[in-house]
Amino acid sequence: MTMNQDVVFSVKNLSMSYLADRGRVRAVNNVSFDLHKGETLAVIGESGCGKSSLNLSLIRQIPRTAEIESGTMDYITREGQHIDVLKLSPARLRKFLWSEVAMVFQGAQNALNPVIRIADMVYDTGKAHGINKAESKKRALRLFEQVRLDPMRVFNAYPHELSGGMRQRVLLALSLILRPQVVIMDEPTTGVDILTQRSILEVLKELRMQLNFSIIFISHDLAVAAEIADTIATMYAGEFVEMGPVRQVFYNPRHAYTLSLLNAAPRLSVGEEELHSIKGSPPDLIDPPSGCKFHERCNFATDICQHTVPPIERDGAHQVACHHSDLVRKERAEVLNK
Amino acid sequence: MDAIAAGDAISDEKPVSKNTKNFTKSYTFRVILQGIITIWAATTFTFFLVRLLPGNPVSIRIDQLMQQGYTIEEARNQAATLFDFNPDEPMLQQYSTYMVNLVQGNLGTSITSAGTPVRDQILRFLPWTLISVGSALLISFSVGILLGIMIAYWRGGVLDNVITALASILSGIPDYVYAILIILIAGVQLQWFNVGEMRGGVTQGIPAGFTVEYISSVIKHALLPVITYLLATVGVWILSMKSSTISVLGEDYINVAKARGLSEGRILTAYVGRNAMLPLVTRLAISIGFVLSGSVIVERFFEYPGLGLQLARAVGARDYTTMQGIFLVITIGVIVSNILADLVMGWLDPRVSLEDN
Repeated sequence: MTMNQDVVFSVKNLSMSYLADRGRVRAVNNVSFDLHKGETLAVIGESGCGKSSLNLSLIRQIPRTAEIESGTMDYITREGQHIDVLKLSPARLRKFLWSEVAMVFQGAQNALNPVIRIADMVYDTGKAHGINKAESKKRALRLFEQVRLDPMRVFNAYPHELSGGMRQRVLLALSLILRPQVVIMDEPTTGVDILTQRSILEVLKELRMQLNFSIIFISHDLAVAAEIADTIATMYAGEFVEMGPVRQVFYNPRHAYTLSLLNAAPRLSVGEEELHSIKGSPPDLIDPPSGCKFHERCNFATDICQHTVPPIERDGAHQVACHHSDLVRKERAEVLNK
Repeated sequence: MDAIAAGDAISDEKPVSKNTKNFTKSYTFRVILQGIITIWAATTFTFFLVRLLPGNPVSIRIDQLMQQGYTIEEARNQAATLFDFNPDEPMLQQYSTYMVNLVQGNLGTSITSAGTPVRDQILRFLPWTLISVGSALLISFSVGILLGIMIAYWRGGVLDNVITALASILSGIPDYVYAILIILIAGVQLQWFNVGEMRGGVTQGIPAGFTVEYISSVIKHALLPVITYLLATVGVWILSMKSSTISVLGEDYINVAKARGLSEGRILTAYVGRNAMLPLVTRLAISIGFVLSGSVIVERFFEYPGLGLQLARAVGARDYTTMQGIFLVITIGVIVSNILADLVMGWLDPRVSLEDN
């Protein structure tokens, strides 16, 4: 998976900020990653850490008050052609979106236009990308079947006639209708009950096997991320503070923040263990803390954390930006050994 | 449906079934039935109100006649023929007679122009009001919606600031002030038109018919009241549409539509416009009532021969039968436009026709 020719989406040093009255809010700071064919990258972090801003930046659908300050986004098509996403004209971007990079938005309740039928949304999507009605319908019905919906009934339904779980699966199917290589999913299982969540994950895994697309999966739910992801990226204050293969990040986390997230997540296997919430709240991004942005909330913090921005250490595919990565690893090992 | 056969916990979810029902259970039928019941209730209410209140038109008329030297018997008989009812009858009997007449389209005869059926008067004056009020509302609604969407899309720009300020000022001024201003400034000061010539619904001496001359004269004479209604209503439409559009623009389905690469035009019409219009359709029906009541004053300023002018005359001359007839027409007009608004809503928003079930 580290082979470079397999990369479909390469993002380098991406920064995005909102312009507020009090100043600039840098919601995405210097984020870099390579997404490979068929890979699922899960981005985890607290609310307000910049996950959704990252998402919107990746498809260049940021709010009017925001701007992408710097960075490159290199997308490689199936034919091997490179596309510089940030340089696409509005018209080219419109064609690019959904046919190459599609998105499943957070909150299925509101992601479908309430006054038109699912069929019209399918046709609209097809028409915008030069696919005729018959072909759009054929693809939609096939996908509805794959996400275990009753195809004809859903096709002719209005959104309010469907349950939350069904709508979420409609969105999933709709995202795949143009056969994109990359699908970005923003908390796709949030707001649905646990059984529906389960079935959506099952469906997602099946589809990924059959259609072989890559996923950028945004979640605050570590269990879901662990189940679906190949690679985990921990996001804090707009930065990827740790990134690596899922087993390494979960079993040998090296960033104090990742460890805190893991300690804050309930696990069935460890009954007696206490849950630790992370003290404080995410930092003010207009005036971010100096040095390591996590130091004010960190149990490992020392002087160096206050003054020096931690450099990125690489260990194979695992990379981390923490001054005390060794201490973190040690503590995790002790917890696991208990 | 093989997909379901393979299903698990999810397969028992089904869309709310919405099979074709028979007409009596349909949304359209319910709306129309409600409308008819409302009209009946309004008519009944008006009937008893007029007759039960102290100083009701009938006894005032009787008093007037008695002052003119008639005996009470003569006065009652006179009043009875005028109002087309027998005052000695029990109230319920009168009510049933009135309702039977009403259903047959008989609204009695005018008190002041003796012998003229109220129905004929209404039929003569109603078209003018329908033309002026109807076209003004349609134009004002369309212009308001277009401008509202536009400034919501480019909010914060120069156009937005100018139009929003203008709309706020426009909507704050009542229609009769516009009528006065138009006559005084455009007519008297600037001499853009001859105030005298613009009176009436059509220039005298032009034969009625589908001729260019007649129709252009009708349009010319309707222009002043139409502009008045337009100025008085368009500001509210612009502001409502702007706020409605801004809230729709923040909805997830708009972001999804953009991410799907849909064309701006399609997003603007089917995704933004249609959703943003929903709250305004109901208000359109309500505003018809307001504009009709405004026409009482506006038509008097322009001497425009509509229902409002006729109502003003009837009030001045204490022509109660005519007043009652015109009130009835206005009531029915408002209720019918509400029915239409409900039907349009049901067509625009599929959720509406289900919610009442």
